[in-house]
Amino acid sequence: MSMWRRLLRDRALLVGTVIIALLVLVAVFATPLSTFPEHVTAFDPAQRLKPPGAIFWLGTDRMGADIYSRLLFGARLTILIAVVATTVAVLIGVPIGLVAGYYRNWFGEMLMRVSDVFLAVPQIVLAIAIAQTLGPAIHNVILALSATYWPFWARLVYAETRSQRNEIYVEAAIAMGASPLRVMVLHILPNIMSSIIVRTTIGMGGTILVAASLGFLGLGAPPPTPEWGRMIAESREFLPQAWWYATAPGIAILLVVMGFNLLGDGLRDVLDPRIRRSANRAP
Amino acid sequence: MRILVLALRRVAWMPPTLLGLTLIVFTVSHVIPADPARAMAGENASTAQIEALRTKFGLDKPLPQQFVRYVTDVLSGEMGVSLYSQRPVASDLLSRLPATFELAIAAIIVAILIGLPLGVVSALYRNSPLDQAVRLVTIAGLAMAAFWLAILLQLLFSMKLAITPVQGRIDGWGPDPITGFYTVDALLRGDWEMFGTSLRYLALPTLTLALPAAATIVRFTRAGVLNVLSSNFVFYQGAMGIPRRIVVWKYILRSALIGTLTQIGLVFGNLLAGAVVVETVFSWPGLGQFAYNSILQSDYNAIMGFTLITGSAFIVVNLLVDIAQAVLDPRGR
Amino acid sequence: MIHRRAGRFEVDRRAVLTGAVALGTAGWSGCAHAARQKFVTANNNPYDILDPHQVFDIGRIAIRLNMYDALMRWVDNPPKLEKWLVEKYEISPDGKSYTFTLKPNVKFHDGSALTSEDVVYSMERILALKLGAYGLFKDIVVPGSTKALDPQTVEFNLKTPFAVFLAVLSELWVVNSKLVKRNIKDNDWGAAWLSRNEAGSGGYALRRFDPAIGFQVQRFDGHFAPFGKNAIDDADFRVSMETATRVLGVLKGEFNTTDGYLPREQMARMKADPNIKTWEFESIRTFYFIINSWKAPLSDVNMRRALSYAFDYDGFNNDILGGTVVRNPGIIPNPMWGAPKDLKGYIYDLDKAKYHLGLVKEKVRPLQIGAMAGYPQSEQGGQMLQAGCAKIGLDVKVVTEPFTTIAAKFNDRERAHDLIPLWRSAYFADPHNWTGFIYNSGNFDAGNASYYKNARVDELCNKALEITDQEQRRVMYEEVSRILVDDAAGIFVNNTKYHGAFTKNVKSIRFCPIGDAQDLRWIEMEG
Repeated sequence: MSMWRRLLRDRALLVGTVIIALLVLVAVFATPLSTFPEHVTAFDPAQRLKPPGAIFWLGTDRMGADIYSRLLFGARLTILIAVVATTVAVLIGVPIGLVAGYYRNWFGEMLMRVSDVFLAVPQIVLAIAIAQTLGPAIHNVILALSATYWPFWARLVYAETRSQRNEIYVEAAIAMGASPLRVMVLHILPNIMSSIIVRTTIGMGGTILVAASLGFLGLGAPPPTPEWGRMIAESREFLPQAWWYATAPGIAILLVVMGFNLLGDGLRDVLDPRIRRSANRAP
Repeated sequence: MRILVLALRRVAWMPPTLLGLTLIVFTVSHVIPADPARAMAGENASTAQIEALRTKFGLDKPLPQQFVRYVTDVLSGEMGVSLYSQRPVASDLLSRLPATFELAIAAIIVAILIGLPLGVVSALYRNSPLDQAVRLVTIAGLAMAAFWLAILLQLLFSMKLAITPVQGRIDGWGPDPITGFYTVDALLRGDWEMFGTSLRYLALPTLTLALPAAATIVRFTRAGVLNVLSSNFVFYQGAMGIPRRIVVWKYILRSALIGTLTQIGLVFGNLLAGAVVVETVFSWPGLGQFAYNSILQSDYNAIMGFTLITGSAFIVVNLLVDIAQAVLDPRGR
Repeated sequence: MIHRRAGRFEVDRRAVLTGAVALGTAGWSGCAHAARQKFVTANNNPYDILDPHQVFDIGRIAIRLNMYDALMRWVDNPPKLEKWLVEKYEISPDGKSYTFTLKPNVKFHDGSALTSEDVVYSMERILALKLGAYGLFKDIVVPGSTKALDPQTVEFNLKTPFAVFLAVLSELWVVNSKLVKRNIKDNDWGAAWLSRNEAGSGGYALRRFDPAIGFQVQRFDGHFAPFGKNAIDDADFRVSMETATRVLGVLKGEFNTTDGYLPREQMARMKADPNIKTWEFESIRTFYFIINSWKAPLSDVNMRRALSYAFDYDGFNNDILGGTVVRNPGIIPNPMWGAPKDLKGYIYDLDKAKYHLGLVKEKVRPLQIGAMAGYPQSEQGGQMLQAGCAKIGLDVKVVTEPFTTIAAKFNDRERAHDLIPLWRSAYFADPHNWTGFIYNSGNFDAGNASYYKNARVDELCNKALEITDQEQRRVMYEEVSRILVDDAAGIFVNNTKYHGAFTKNVKSIRFCPIGDAQDLRWIEMEG
């Protein structure tokens, strides 16, 4: 069965792809799609806390800015954080895991112990400390997330590399005189690539949740940045009357993370249904 | 014998891991620019006051010296004094530990009670409408921000329906502590009213933490059961004429249980992480709320104490889980 | 009513009894076991340190007001200074020596007598700990200069005359010196012990304390000041950081009251509820922006004036805060003497703002507002100013940080934020609280976080502290107010109103802006 046919048949993959595609579209075309594009920074105090209606489709927030428009622009932020943080974590963790898994010497063990130390603390705790250290800004959130995420990749790739190391094709490559670098990059890496891709996709979802939590705790981007977690935090003071204020950003987060999760699950089924769901850490 | 060796190896790795943990946290928290001496002294303080505080708590010593002093203190059971409240951090943490643990254990119990059966049934009736529904809800559950779920549940059950309290652990002061777990203490004293009340207060925070955990458990249980179902072993048993029901109960459930056990470590870690925001939303007086307050107040010792406790707990739980798994599943990971 | 704890049967018995009580309330209230009046407050600040000499803020004032006594006490609105522990006093002609005669028969909670020794010890303790209200006394009381002339008489010998000495004595809380001395560890003046115990003589004694939950007190009937006949017997002060949960708690009757500065939507809910009584009082707590006058271009008066014209006062006060505050053009709150009645402040005028911006000689750079995390009004105020500045082409960034982080930068004029929106609460009801303390250049490291320097302001503020005639001082403070506005030393926005929401069974309170109705002894509840 061709790739495309499989794609269409797997509903999870389909829905996930559609959601993420929509997210990207919304982020790119936020300006024409929004009703009040200026409300990213501007506001209208006389219109504050209005319920969803004809003018303000999802209501207004505490400063009188249109929530719908801010949500759309928040999508840009979300993608930025998710993609950059995860990419940086992968770029750091994967090479470390490859080297440690390939050589299996004390150095690798040491690196894995360092990873273990990071993994011993719930990611958000360290992320909070780092984010507060650096100050409230988007790039600091990304830094905090990357710094606490790379060990997960190192560990994962280490385990996979270790198991691949004993495979015949690796031994054959070494026997034919391939350098370790060549073996790692050209032989092992492609074989574990599908695992990495699947986990990356799902990892984006998790990253968005942690970023939203940081925003919720006030450690993320400063106002008036339309960060979804921050919007939910702002809304709490006005509950239960201004229910739309908390609901809309929350649903946005839900949809996006779900999209990434579905996409990841679907990719896993498509790319390699025989992938063993590792018993170690997150799926 | 293998188990003993495994256990000893893991236990031997704990101190270096904890030391590394302390070092990381010490480095990070020490770079926090907020000046804790200033925080203690208050908004009306003078430089002289602040400097006096700084000297008193050794904040002016070079960093390596401060770290060594801290490590030796911890080894003797002393985690320093909270820079903010001048109370020993250890006692603050200890007094808040039961609250978070009660919440975490309740959440795990609820998560297993919901997740395990759902996962098994979902796998047994694969691709049925039930299975589809469960998978959808699971995916949604894992995609929800914990603080958002907390707020929604609070909005619905506490504010609109008014059947659960809005926040807190009990109305006023809890039972005189025996274990520190309000539910257990109430039971031990035969105080059914207090037991009921503490359950009511426990309900929403537990549910908030349990739902994502249940989702994880459902997924893994389902995958594990599917694995077993399609294995040669089960096929063979079926071919031998052993009734399917017995196969299910004896082997599949056992495998599901083992699978879940493996995930407890992961689930527990997520619970501790979720506790930070959930305790904030529900004003639950546990470690998570303590952590957040400590970070806001730049309370170095408190932050480090919290991370050590959390990290140690996580490591210990994982160790126990690994051992249990090795015992239960001799085939190895 | 004594219950035997007999497991599940207890529930049924209680149900029966409750039913019986409901039917026979009239007869029951005559029973010997009259119900004790319980009062529960939900506070949005943690109660974590009980030591009255270690903290000096409004958030935790309930601890000091209720469990301790001071020489003087502030009551009513506008605040009046009353003699509290003091029977009478004499001030020497040079204004440097104060002799107080204490009231007789004042007892601590443990039964021992409060004498002048305790007063002297408390003063020395504040000076030694260098925490809490130390800043109020440090320049005027020298350690060792306070003398106990006899068990009922205390003599303070000040370094220089200080017009507000009586006013700040309201923060000299008297601790039980014998009790504290018994619990000293490592020369800490009992700080570790007293932060979780109490050694006071106040109207209410500590019964329980848990920093994660709050504290519980019980009325001290041996107090020297009489209580009203419907006074509170027991009280709980609980911590609850979330606004919505505090509000809901009051609506459901779980709490009798909460803080008095809620957002207007929540106040509207309270007002609409038939089970809630609301009281509104103009307080003396001004909301303003600290401007870091040290850093260019804020050192240029035209820059500061431009900012003052770029803030939408009406939009903020009326739309965002819904009229729960009053426009206060100067720094001294309107109800306070020393605030000029005819003071015209700045208005939202973008043309004038642009004009002044054009006059700025220094190089204009992007500015940074440090708003207080967790205080929505501070954040919204910051955004308001940011929006106005954007309209005149000025780039302003809003950064939210916890107050402790912001305060940590106060001492570093290079790193401090350019603008900080916050409140100046009343710690004592004297114009000095809003002027000299925060704008005298001599206070750069102690209260003047604006790094503002103006020779005339310094001169007036110093002089006003030396003389005691209120009329003369009033004239000086009014002049200071006018200078501060003309010089745009800060952006002065509003004076807050206290909106107290109480459950219906609270009959009366006695509001004072210092203490915000957290002073239990004046609260009367329905029997």
